[in-house]
Amino acid sequence: MNQSFQWDRGWQGQLRLVYAKKSDSTYLTHAYHHAPFKIQRSFYPEGKSICHNIILHTAGGMVGGDRLTTDIHLHPHSQVLTTTATANRIYRSNGPLSAHHVHIKMDEGATLEYLPQETIIFNGANYQQTLRVELGTGSTFIGWEIYRFGRTARGEKFIQGEMRSQTELWQDKVPLWIDRQYVPGNEDIFHSAHGLSGCPVVGTLVFVGMPVDSDLVSQARSLITSHPSSGVTRLEQGLLCRFRGHSTSEVKQWFMNVWKILRSNYLSYDIIKTQAIPRVWQL
Amino acid sequence: MELTLTPENFLHILQIGSPSLPIGAYCYSEGLEMLVENGTINDSSTLRNWLTSELTYGAIRVDAAIIKRSYECIHIQDLENLQNWNHWLSAFRETEEMRAASWQMGNSFVSLLKNLIPESSDLLRLINSCQYPINYPIAYSLACSHWHIQIHTALLAYLHSWLTNLITSSVKLIPLGQTIGQVLLIELQPVLIQIVSEIDTMKDDDLYCCNWGLSLASMQHETQYSRLFRS
Repeated sequence: MNQSFQWDRGWQGQLRLVYAKKSDSTYLTHAYHHAPFKIQRSFYPEGKSICHNIILHTAGGMVGGDRLTTDIHLHPHSQVLTTTATANRIYRSNGPLSAHHVHIKMDEGATLEYLPQETIIFNGANYQQTLRVELGTGSTFIGWEIYRFGRTARGEKFIQGEMRSQTELWQDKVPLWIDRQYVPGNEDIFHSAHGLSGCPVVGTLVFVGMPVDSDLVSQARSLITSHPSSGVTRLEQGLLCRFRGHSTSEVKQWFMNVWKILRSNYLSYDIIKTQAIPRVWQL
Repeated sequence: MELTLTPENFLHILQIGSPSLPIGAYCYSEGLEMLVENGTINDSSTLRNWLTSELTYGAIRVDAAIIKRSYECIHIQDLENLQNWNHWLSAFRETEEMRAASWQMGNSFVSLLKNLIPESSDLLRLINSCQYPINYPIAYSLACSHWHIQIHTALLAYLHSWLTNLITSSVKLIPLGQTIGQVLLIELQPVLIQIVSEIDTMKDDDLYCCNWGLSLASMQHETQYSRLFRS
């Protein structure tokens, strides 16, 4: 039995990743993982400058009492893409919280694409997630989060429990984007037009680090496939997309298409190559 | 909750809490124009549900909680955190239209205050410490603090003014009779009182909202073909 599992408290998993750029190549220079986290070997599907990593959660999901922390540090000018191998699951809890806290520090000129797969929140789950990113001068961050509330394939609705997700992006001690989303499990929220409107899937894509022009906003809007479910707006230093619908593959496809135009217009990367799309996404 | 008011307090709050204060509140529908066009809101019942949800779970509740925080910062002269909360609100605005509305109303409010309270070096120092642009809830707390308006009174007036504005917009948009709008305003009084008493015990860790519908409606309003309102 691994030391990080405690019968009274659940998993106390930790993941620490440090990246650095040396002569045009980004390396994972330090990796520490404590179960249930595991990190696969870095790979370079689009050349040595951008390091790809897939994070595994070996337990397959989180129960009440699990507390995971992730720390990622990008040294100047490193370029990193991280995703996860599978969807994350948050199981029903009889009270205790499942929590995942992520802290990311980005040095000058670093670029991070933080693109985990979706999280499925079982009815009755009690989940809290925090993501705090500190951007250095000239660094850019693109991230998304996708949630499915209830195992809809089984006809389950999210009417018990609670989800809280807090995303904060800061630069020079000034917040660039603060998102405080909670979804209390109840029929009101699930059905109201103001809340989930009967839609079990929500998603947010955020890009921050430089002002975007209205042309890019129009492009992101033109990629929308379901208009009532989707919206795009501009942040002071970036772009925000929101989705509220029924299909995780629909939101992933749209976000991926927006990600491609952000990459080619703002990250000065080459037009995305097919091999740059993580295979684990399997859209 | 009990409110204590001097005659001066009463008159000041009537003035700055008035929906007709010339800071442009009537220009904004906060997504309602889109929701009426797409049929989500089409009568007084769907409107009541929407407004109740926004008060109970939405961004307006967080705004009111920030007024309380900013008011307390002014009281203890914590200018650093006053500025932090102003920045926090700018970053918390979900859409370009909602951010622009908050800044426009905040900056107009501050310009008006400079005329209502001329030659107040205290007020100018507070305004400058917030840094431009100033969000409307922060500007509002500056005025309430200056005139010593008790926080519960300030918050009730703020939410009431917000509600009056949105009902007035909806009466034009849906359209509804003026009387139906006034009935709704009376019916929602208990919700306003409930929210203000909840804000009393809210911690910074409880500043959350659940308003996917508002966020999407506001984003979609930005490209609505024919518009009367600026949000």
